[in-house]
Amino acid sequence: MPELRKDPILGRWIIIARERSKRPTDFVVETPASKGGFCPLCPGNEKTTPDEVLVYGRQSGMERNSSGWKLRVVPNKYPALVIEGEIDKQGEGLYDRMNGIGAHEVVIESPNHEDRFTFLPHDQMILTFRAFRDRIRDLSRDDRFSYVMVFKNYGKAAGASLEHSHSQLVALPILPRMLVTELEGSLSYYKYKDRCIFCDIIRQEIQQDIRLVCENDKFVTLAPFAPRTPFEMWIMPRRHHSSYINQDDASLSALTEIFSESLRRLDACIPGVPYNFVLHTQPLRSQPLDHFHWHFEIVPKLTSIAGFEWGTGFYINPMPPEDTCRYLREIEL
Amino acid sequence: MEDKKKILLVDDEDGIQLLYREEFEDEGYLVDSAINGEEALKIFKDNPPDLVILDINMPGMNGIEVLRQMKEMNAELPIILSSAYQEYKEDFGTWASEEYIVKSANMDELKAAVHKYLD
Repeated sequence: MPELRKDPILGRWIIIARERSKRPTDFVVETPASKGGFCPLCPGNEKTTPDEVLVYGRQSGMERNSSGWKLRVVPNKYPALVIEGEIDKQGEGLYDRMNGIGAHEVVIESPNHEDRFTFLPHDQMILTFRAFRDRIRDLSRDDRFSYVMVFKNYGKAAGASLEHSHSQLVALPILPRMLVTELEGSLSYYKYKDRCIFCDIIRQEIQQDIRLVCENDKFVTLAPFAPRTPFEMWIMPRRHHSSYINQDDASLSALTEIFSESLRRLDACIPGVPYNFVLHTQPLRSQPLDHFHWHFEIVPKLTSIAGFEWGTGFYINPMPPEDTCRYLREIEL
Repeated sequence: MEDKKKILLVDDEDGIQLLYREEFEDEGYLVDSAINGEEALKIFKDNPPDLVILDINMPGMNGIEVLRQMKEMNAELPIILSSAYQEYKEDFGTWASEEYIVKSANMDELKAAVHKYLD
């Protein structure tokens, strides 16, 4: 029989459709052939991107926007939101509007066109997590922004339009609705129990050990109790922190280690699987929050969102997380 | 006699072809045209233009793929993407172009971009 499960933070219901139960090999993932041709993110083509806002690995004395880098962050060449101007909030009767102020940046995670994020060596992958931290810190100095959304689309089905490995940051003048719901849900739990719900989830999952994918001394990877899609994973720090940007290098190293392991386990289960990951962290203007816990959510693109999902907000997931966790843990890396 | 600069116009819509050709020929440019990506790439190789105005949403090969192949042949040649749709801006493949202009009845923005690269 299908089972309804409720996400304890968001209150979102999902349907585990067990009669559609699948194994990892049942998911067919198309891996399109490399297109080749000109790539604006490759070394040598730096002039086709806007002026870089962050670079790692280029020797001092080298010209800006030249090759010889290990990671670059550049603004979006054709942005939907613009960096110049004031927000200018206005009301129009019951409607609100404001200017489309924001920053949209692209993190070019490796100079090598063929590199895939999942398989980046530790020394290269850690640069991406460091860049997220350093760019959020920098963007937080602009008081027009309330939040920096960090995400990656991996694979065409997950929305990636370029083969060259990259992720994105979008600084917004407003808080995304999903984050607000998460903040409200976790605050509600905190008021009731005087504990962080994320800390409680980590504690219970370690104890139950049926949805714990992998762990190290600083982080855990969980298959959440009510996942939207098969093989959804959350990567969470063991110690309570509401903000991503306070991490030191040891924490970034441990994060890289568990991120890499989680993605390689996922890829071993379903080779080439497209996915999105999103960072959830506290708002820029917030003091440290006792009720919120920063984390990453990795959501493989294995199911489609159709009328039922749009209409109800329920996701239909054909694989329970206890099964996906077992498959992920059985992988020998 | 002064050599006229040549524009390659790639768009599958007849109306756009007619309008742009008339406007840019009036401004003193030569205009070659192609109605799809394959034809555009052939002209690009056989009879290289000085600038390309390239639509994105075309049957067969889309404009971003055409752009990628043209830039592989000549990274320096200016290419202006001209699309009716804003949402292609979310495709970072557009970055290989010099300009991205949303089609409009007012051609001032497109003309200014052409002048910027050809005059």
